[in-house]
Amino acid sequence: MGGLQLLLYFAVLFFVVAIVAKTIKIARMPIHLRWDLYPVPHEKGRGAYGGSYFEEIDWWTKPKNFSYLSEVKEMGKEILFIQSLFHHNRPLWLFSFPFHFGMYCLIAHGVLLLTGSIIILGGIEISWLSKNIIPAAVFHLTLISGKAGWLLSAFGAFGLLMSRLFNGKLRSSAVLSDYVNLLILLALFTVGVVSSFTVDISYSIQRAFIADFITVKSAPALPGILTAQLWILTILLIYFPFTHMTHFVGKYFTYHKIRWEDEPNVAGGKIEKAVSAALGYRINWSASHIKSGATWAEAATEETTEREK
Amino acid sequence: MKNKKTSIKDFSNKEGQLVELDNSGFLPLPPPYDKQELEPKIGSLTEDARKKYECDLDGVVAVKFPRPETEEEKRILVEKFLSGLKKLFEKENNWGFMQPLFLTMEYCAKCQTCASACPIYNETGEMDIYRPTFRSDILRRLYKTYVKKGGKFFAKVSGNDIEASWTMIARLMELCYRCTICRRCAQTCPVGVDNGLVTREIRKIFSQEMGINVEPLHKKGSVQQLKAGSSTGMIPAAFLDNIEFLEEEVEERTGMNFKWPMDKAGADILLIHNAGEYLAWPENPEAFAIILEAAGISYTLSSELVGYDSVNYGVWYDDVQFARVAIKHAQAARKLGVKKIVLGECGHAHKALTVIADRVFTGEFNIPRESSLTLLDDIIKNGRLKLDPSRNDDIITTLHDPCNVVRLMGIVQPQRNVLKAVSNNFREMTPHGVENYCCGGGSGFAITQDLNFPDWRHTVSGRAKLRQILDVFQDVIGPEQKKYVCAPCSNCKGAMRDMFAAYGLFERCNILYGGLVELVVNAMPEIEKPFLEWEWH
Repeated sequence: MGGLQLLLYFAVLFFVVAIVAKTIKIARMPIHLRWDLYPVPHEKGRGAYGGSYFEEIDWWTKPKNFSYLSEVKEMGKEILFIQSLFHHNRPLWLFSFPFHFGMYCLIAHGVLLLTGSIIILGGIEISWLSKNIIPAAVFHLTLISGKAGWLLSAFGAFGLLMSRLFNGKLRSSAVLSDYVNLLILLALFTVGVVSSFTVDISYSIQRAFIADFITVKSAPALPGILTAQLWILTILLIYFPFTHMTHFVGKYFTYHKIRWEDEPNVAGGKIEKAVSAALGYRINWSASHIKSGATWAEAATEETTEREK
Repeated sequence: MKNKKTSIKDFSNKEGQLVELDNSGFLPLPPPYDKQELEPKIGSLTEDARKKYECDLDGVVAVKFPRPETEEEKRILVEKFLSGLKKLFEKENNWGFMQPLFLTMEYCAKCQTCASACPIYNETGEMDIYRPTFRSDILRRLYKTYVKKGGKFFAKVSGNDIEASWTMIARLMELCYRCTICRRCAQTCPVGVDNGLVTREIRKIFSQEMGINVEPLHKKGSVQQLKAGSSTGMIPAAFLDNIEFLEEEVEERTGMNFKWPMDKAGADILLIHNAGEYLAWPENPEAFAIILEAAGISYTLSSELVGYDSVNYGVWYDDVQFARVAIKHAQAARKLGVKKIVLGECGHAHKALTVIADRVFTGEFNIPRESSLTLLDDIIKNGRLKLDPSRNDDIITTLHDPCNVVRLMGIVQPQRNVLKAVSNNFREMTPHGVENYCCGGGSGFAITQDLNFPDWRHTVSGRAKLRQILDVFQDVIGPEQKKYVCAPCSNCKGAMRDMFAAYGLFERCNILYGGLVELVVNAMPEIEKPFLEWEWH
């Protein structure tokens, strides 16, 4: 088994473990104070204009008007079409949308390649000539998602890199890693485009490689361009978790657990339990108006007049 | 304008005042203020003040922090700042905001989408130091260098390294008081990053670790409130005297003779106003009293320490002070055994007690809280008040949306329902609702009155709001037409009072500001004389 294949096993494992660990780390952080930001889309009948249940008299006595559908619709628009950029930063959206949508196509492409590999391992051929509907569909969808994905994401990454380089506002806040992130991605997508339109037009080489990869067999040597593609992918998988490119993890929390989290604290509920626990944490802020070593509950209820004299 | 473009390197190292402000570089205002000579200017500090206080950011002073005299003093201050920065990422010290801050530090894509939403950045002609990401980038670099594991090495490799210096920390101290925390920026962020939160967290380092804060917020604000009962300095006995005086004034103005319910155990509602209303805009609590009396609502005021002042300035700079004041509010309500607390027309008090404190209160302190705007809407919807909107026909009205009530807690429609019931001449500003612009006085700016800070507030942080007000009335901008900016928030009114005076808006354009309930009472046919006094005060 080649060194690159072994490294790829490590990279995939590292990527998955790192992302899961990062997600768990954020999820396990203590409950935060409410920091809502409206509109909150799950507010049924009110989400459209930014209203909340606070608009209702004695809201705590009324049933909650919660619309999962509105929230899912809003999520869909944000995730698939990056609507916030569309509305507030159109020049960047022109690149960011193809960049992200291209990557979604590539994720689908990866799943389809894996599916195709499993079909091959089952002894069924996948090619232009497949007559059976499932292998034929997998083949053609792999083709479409791959070509579209590589092209769109390469175009987007190039545009984002140019924006970062030539738009003064973007350049002024950029640091080395911002350029490195885009360069690695652009390299991968460009190589992907080349391989997609030259040595592996039908993705049969990649499908065969994945079949060997998942059955832990030594894969035959790949053409140079695909070897380069694999190297970049491997590096990216290891590098990625260290960067803000994992913002898909962060975005779940910023939207669902902060901006849109309007769950009220009710007596005996899980929020009250978490708040009670947090109020027991001991503070060691140093300013003179705070008694270091006190719990939050003690600090909040102490009579401060003497301290301030 | 000098130094419109500023790098983080300059911010950290360059000696002397970093940028100079000049209105001529700001976005021009609509008529009649398209003539530059009608605009107030940002005053220069006296030489004494410049020598005495840290003012090397933009020549404006909010914090009034004396310049340290020795290098040793500076070193200790930098160390303290870094120690406070670390505490922001410790659950024991910052459980309340650790997760949101961590996410903001880790995931900003630096797309600058937020910049387009920031009124301060845009109105100043895009000055870099006011860009929402500018202060966040500095804090992010400090976090990556001094807080994260392997920080210095990884920060260096990634280009995120930064050397903390007093020059930088002193500028950051002032810079965290150049953002109103309106959170328009956060609203537009595709990743959900919150630069408004960063402003507040930086203020917390200064206050909670270093004991550095803005005097009107801390010493004369939350500290005074906890000690005397109100940030205005009004002690309970003075409050009771005030109420007696207002009862008499209501009788004089309306002929209605009734006692305001005080410390009435078992009432349904504890109504808490921003105590500033009693002193600066007494017609507002008077109007509330008239409405609630006429509608037959069971309510009471409290004369308990802090129980008669809804302000909670901790919400802008200090979590401990925030929690202390919130608990006092809950204690006052608990003592009276009310079913709910209703907040008068004060935006930050709404958000503080209703939203943020929701995760401070447990057990018996968790008494339901509600907006007076919601209550008013309900009273009017249920026909509990006789109203004749034609009594307000001589006034064209627009509505200012206080950020804390609208964008930050989603109360958008009730105040509009009320306005439409009492006015036939209501028009919306653009944009409005959850996309509104701050009055310019948010996050404590309205009460920060020292040195040249008010000049900055009138010409910079309030500029977008002023533009909206002028735009919405542009077809009737002359003094012959009465125009009213309804601002159901004490801090917004404070900011407008000062800004209107600085620009001469009442004299020049006949634009007055005020609350919502005053218009409601003005539309009550049972009150013979107009309640709204059309005069500047």
